[in-house]
Amino acid sequence: MSATASLSSRAEPQPAVSPSTLAPAAVLEAKGLTKRFGAFTALNALDLEIPEGEVFCLLGANGAGKTTTINLFLNFVAPTAGTASIGGLDVTEHPLETKRHVAYIPEQVMLYKNLTGLENLDYFASLATGRSHDRDELLGYLARAGLQVDAATQRVGGYSKGMRQKVGIAIALAKRARALLLDEPTSGLDPKASNEFSELLSMLREHGAAILMATHDLFRAKESGTRVGIMKHGTLVQTLSTADIGHADLERIYLDHMRD
Amino acid sequence: MLARIATKEFTDTLRDGRFRWSAAIVITLLAAALGAGWKNYRDVKGQHDRAQTAMRDFWLNQPAKNPHSAAHYGVWAFKPRTLLSLVEQGVDPYVGVAAYLEAHKQNEFQFRPAMDATATQRFGQWTAATILQILLPLLIVVLAFPAFAGERELGTLRQLVSLGVKPSVLAGGKALGVAAGLGVLLVPATILGVMALALAASEGAFAVEMPRIGLMALTYLAYFVVFIAVSLVVSARARSSRVALLVLLAFWAVNSLVAPRVLSDVARRVAPTPSAFQFITALDADLKKGPDGHSPDVRTDSLRRTLLAKHRVSTVDSLPFNFDAVQMQQAEEDGNIVFDRHYGALYSAYRRQNIVHQLGAVVAPLLAVRALSMGLAGTDVEHHRAFADASEAYRRMLIKKMNGSMAENSRSGDFSYKADPSLWKEVPPFTYEQPPLVLSMGMQLPSLWLLLAWVVIGLVSVVRTRKLNLD
Repeated sequence: MSATASLSSRAEPQPAVSPSTLAPAAVLEAKGLTKRFGAFTALNALDLEIPEGEVFCLLGANGAGKTTTINLFLNFVAPTAGTASIGGLDVTEHPLETKRHVAYIPEQVMLYKNLTGLENLDYFASLATGRSHDRDELLGYLARAGLQVDAATQRVGGYSKGMRQKVGIAIALAKRARALLLDEPTSGLDPKASNEFSELLSMLREHGAAILMATHDLFRAKESGTRVGIMKHGTLVQTLSTADIGHADLERIYLDHMRD
Repeated sequence: MLARIATKEFTDTLRDGRFRWSAAIVITLLAAALGAGWKNYRDVKGQHDRAQTAMRDFWLNQPAKNPHSAAHYGVWAFKPRTLLSLVEQGVDPYVGVAAYLEAHKQNEFQFRPAMDATATQRFGQWTAATILQILLPLLIVVLAFPAFAGERELGTLRQLVSLGVKPSVLAGGKALGVAAGLGVLLVPATILGVMALALAASEGAFAVEMPRIGLMALTYLAYFVVFIAVSLVVSARARSSRVALLVLLAFWAVNSLVAPRVLSDVARRVAPTPSAFQFITALDADLKKGPDGHSPDVRTDSLRRTLLAKHRVSTVDSLPFNFDAVQMQQAEEDGNIVFDRHYGALYSAYRRQNIVHQLGAVVAPLLAVRALSMGLAGTDVEHHRAFADASEAYRRMLIKKMNGSMAENSRSGDFSYKADPSLWKEVPPFTYEQPPLVLSMGMQLPSLWLLLAWVVIGLVSVVRTRKLNLD
């Protein structure tokens, strides 16, 4: 049974706000977003709008500004110029409120090794939502993320990277995040785990989440993304709709940009 | 949310093997120290009671003798051990437990337990107080240094911040979590301690000591709160957990090793005290000079002239009392003025030294805690002084009574007069009550305020954790 199938069998409304009322508005929005570290420009005047139900994949070499973009949306670093907003709220002005709508999944989801997956989820979910969740509800989130009970009740110390990513997804589910910020979530995953992760993303997208994913994986970007943006030296050089191009075209365009 | 964070930190701590080991070691040491303290208290109390009874018997069973000889025979006053000395010995091992009360002399206290100690005790006495003052803060440091710095290195701090958790709530929750972890150790230790005290206390004494016990518990609680707060604040600001650990260990070392040592030197400079030899030499010189600088012979002559004139007789033999006894009492009282001056100066120097020590708590909270702990246990210099004063007052009363009896019942030059043994009974047995709590705390006010300031500043800094560095 795939994760998508298990999701559709549950009749829970996922997004906090129904798609119809917010359809045109961008959940994640960057306006002239710029970050300089001294003389180095990590991100140069990024303009980006990601509405609900869209997966925007940022492609680019290391140091192209992908992670900086995500860190700016999370207010982990302050922008030099421009604004990043989530759900229409500027992240620097509303650092706590904007985080309520967003889930963050880094390359390596870091968890407390002395706690089980379930306990980790319980902790993060209750901090995110400010309320406690019962065991069945939490196990439900983990199951939808693809982590079964026997694994969920083990301490995280022995988890594989894929299992950790699943707990990360379960946190996003519990949080009912409207926006997801993913920083190379599939790098280092085996193809099966990577495929499972893509299916989870599709599930979240279908439920109206706006997703920004930084990745090196062109194939994954074409498969999961609705749009891809190619970044180079901190600048978004081209944006493509994945429906319009084939995988080979995407690779060619990407490599053209990388050629100096 | 605060409770949720605290619960998680607590669970995390309990599952940490390092915590379990160090907690087991600390609680074993505490239990051993309390057990040893209880046994030592019981033994010393037994010895004290026996010695006191024996002393009284010796006094009462003196044969008929000249009262002034009885005054020379003297008595020993034994300092009772306070109940809380079981936890905090304070200066007791160094100041002596018994004073010989005799005619003409205010003697220094003798029999210092430290004199009987083996060389290993140079490293300090492992009483419950030492463990609470030195070892527990170390445990707190080890427990709390990675609170933020460790999570930052692990990457979970990003995860937490990405959830929109307020840094101040996170810090508060972590503080409660560490406190709960310590509670696992301290709650049983407190029960054990109170049990040891209740077991050791004679009937009714435990109830009397309750306020002191409660305040002492509060003092240590405040001390641990300070260490938890300092650890969290350092952990939140340090670049790495290594730096956090180093900074906190340095603070611990300054607090428990460096500051007490340095402050002792500073205190000795601010209020120098003479060596025992210097003290005795100066005292003897002044005793010879008398309170007004005249020689004893001059003073005796003057007393004789006054009394002869008063009774209108020409020789002391015609006086209706024993002039020698009156003259001895006069000399006694002259001596007392000199004793008061010298001992007064000595104790006021100690008092100034003590204030310097307490002010050191600006840097090292241990100094405040130690002063409060000793004050509450009744084992500080002030309590020793209170006992010394009480025993000296008893000595003066006893000598005066003996000299008075001799003066009344015999004539000048008659040293063969023997008082009936019933006279010995007229001297009540020596009893000593600890000064009331308010009085003993009066001397610890600087410590009280400084400890309170540490607690307030510590808690405020934790609550004001606004921004957390992620890298």
